[in-house]
Amino acid sequence: MKKQIALALAAAMSVGMLAGCGGGAASSTAGAASEAASTGSSGGSGSLTISWWGGDSRHAAYQEAIKAFTEETGVTVEPSYGAWSGWEEAKSTALAAGQGEDVMQVNWNWLYQYSGEGQSFADLNEFADIIDLSQFPQSALDACTVAGELQAIPVAMTGRTFYWNMNTYKAAGIETAPASYEDLIAAGKAFQEKLGDEYYPLCVGPYDRMIMMTFWLESNYGKAWVENKTCNYTVEEITEGMNFIKSLEDNHVIPTMENYYGAGFDSIDKSTQWIDGQYAGIFEWDSSANKYNDALADNSGFTVGEEIKWGDKANGGFAKVSMGLAITETCKDKESAAKLINFLLNEEKGASIMGTECGMVSSAAGQAAAEAAGKVKPLVKQANDIVMGFVDFQLDPDYESSKLKGSDGIYTDAFDGFSYGDYTAEEAAEILLDGVNGVLASA
Amino acid sequence: MKMSTANKIGKFLQYFVLIAVGIIMIYPLIWMIGATFKNNAEVFSGIGFIPMHPTLEGYKAAVTQNYGGNINIWRAFINTYSYVIPKVIFTVISSVVAAYGFSRFKFKGRDLMFSIMISTLFLPQVVLNVPQYLMYNTFGWINSPLYLPLWVPTLFGTETYFVYQLVQFMRSIPKDLDEAAAIDGCGPFKILYKIICPMLSPSLVAVALFQFMWSCNDFMGPLLYVQTPSKYPMAIFVKLSMDADAGFSWNRILALSLISIIPQLIVFFCAQDSFIDGIAAGAVKG
Repeated sequence: MKKQIALALAAAMSVGMLAGCGGGAASSTAGAASEAASTGSSGGSGSLTISWWGGDSRHAAYQEAIKAFTEETGVTVEPSYGAWSGWEEAKSTALAAGQGEDVMQVNWNWLYQYSGEGQSFADLNEFADIIDLSQFPQSALDACTVAGELQAIPVAMTGRTFYWNMNTYKAAGIETAPASYEDLIAAGKAFQEKLGDEYYPLCVGPYDRMIMMTFWLESNYGKAWVENKTCNYTVEEITEGMNFIKSLEDNHVIPTMENYYGAGFDSIDKSTQWIDGQYAGIFEWDSSANKYNDALADNSGFTVGEEIKWGDKANGGFAKVSMGLAITETCKDKESAAKLINFLLNEEKGASIMGTECGMVSSAAGQAAAEAAGKVKPLVKQANDIVMGFVDFQLDPDYESSKLKGSDGIYTDAFDGFSYGDYTAEEAAEILLDGVNGVLASA
Repeated sequence: MKMSTANKIGKFLQYFVLIAVGIIMIYPLIWMIGATFKNNAEVFSGIGFIPMHPTLEGYKAAVTQNYGGNINIWRAFINTYSYVIPKVIFTVISSVVAAYGFSRFKFKGRDLMFSIMISTLFLPQVVLNVPQYLMYNTFGWINSPLYLPLWVPTLFGTETYFVYQLVQFMRSIPKDLDEAAAIDGCGPFKILYKIICPMLSPSLVAVALFQFMWSCNDFMGPLLYVQTPSKYPMAIFVKLSMDADAGFSWNRILALSLISIIPQLIVFFCAQDSFIDGIAAGAVKG
């Protein structure tokens, strides 16, 4: 008993001492912070706040760029940044309370979700004299126009394409990357015969399957997946798309979902099958070229593939705005904020620092500046050129709704159930269409 | 002779099972330590913990990464403990006082208030986020350099779980002791401080330990209320570079996580004896 009391007291004392230190440190840093703030405002040139999510290299690029901006304009910029996980929850809460940063890096669907009536973000058309809008493709600007207001500047456009591990293809006796459905089917056969059952020419998860099927449908029927909040496809048409996926499975082009989950990985880049070359192809975002390249144990065969044209009505496929920069309605100095956005995306100095850290920049001037500065990752550029030169549809804003895309969402349910044999192609198509219509109706 | 052979076999089996299960339980931690010395391709290629091509890059990067001078690992440690420690102290004090009131005094509406308090135990934090954020916003506490929204609430006995736990413990302390102390001239606070708290100490250590670990691991709280990078605590710092799109070095993240749990491990082992007493005490006293 005595010992316990002594221990508790000792703990309390040490905790108290530590608290003393902690408090001291906190107040001293607080002092430093307020000092910094006061010097910022005493300059009379105003200050801004900006927030973004990302990884190390993006944090570094933004920080360098805003430093250059401060040197040029005298406007101080206070950053706030973090990783993606939890970021949307935190920022949507802040937006609800009117506490968003002056300039925010936003995901495309945030415009619809948190500013559907234009309540959170300012209309950037009003600042067209500051931000050179002519540098951006009109389709990208249109995609960011919500409730009649241009709520964000599209930083980058992204889409899906194929990446191949040609080392495995060569081992199977195939010298050129597949460029058609027939090539894939032939590769499936060659892989199974020459390399064994565990080798596949392509590996796709449930969401990849959905995107691939959408590409296939759009190409074969020549109409967008969703237009004006209605799905353009009938159950019969989707059933055909489902059968297309099934034919890939049956011909050993892609592993079945049972096989896919049985391998027990979290994402394809972390699977031994991709690292060691048993999966020799993926269908992924152009921006993640480097991630998949770096993951390979031997990346000498890593190749950015051409898009595959599945049908004859259209190329098919879509590009989406991967992220944007927006100015919040609560920003006090919107002109400086607009200058900052223009600096980061259009001006030579800013754009050359930012490079492709936020994806392949959609601003023509920004892209030229980044290329001149050698800040464009060649793989990403190659993949982006392929995607942008091919796709001919826009993405529907609800396509990536968490109700559809989530790990317990409609896409997963339909494609898993179909692959496991729980649903027939018709049933899976019905589930998919009902789910999509449900989301479209509620949105 | 026969007996002792049977005994030996029994002992062997006991220890065999215990050691086998023990290894299975601790293996993920051992793997994590091994993985801090591996590169990305090796991290995902097997469950062996011995690195084939050991590298110290992870540790080097973990202690040197400073995000343009904004924040580094040591700063993140100081930031974390500058609100975790007040939080732990205030939780213990306010929970004891609240529990004392509920278990020792009969006042109007006590049972109703107790059931209201218990019902908040089942309220998930996520439904509180937005209203709390709005409230702290009107107080002007968002991005407070003193981390006010993170520790001030604990001054008011808001940690229902701990209050409930302490009420249960206090019920097991005989009231005769209070009465004896009252006869000797102790007031209510002196009884709490001189009689009840010493009896309660194992349970107080348990409260402090739990709160310490939960607060150190809390991610969403700091993410909501701390916006200045130089004020980021460890929980956010560890995750700063985890970008799923571009990929990152796992060895650094794992090294960082390992370093960040060391203080928690030390505190836990120091308080282990009292902590186990605290958990076990409830079991017998019921």
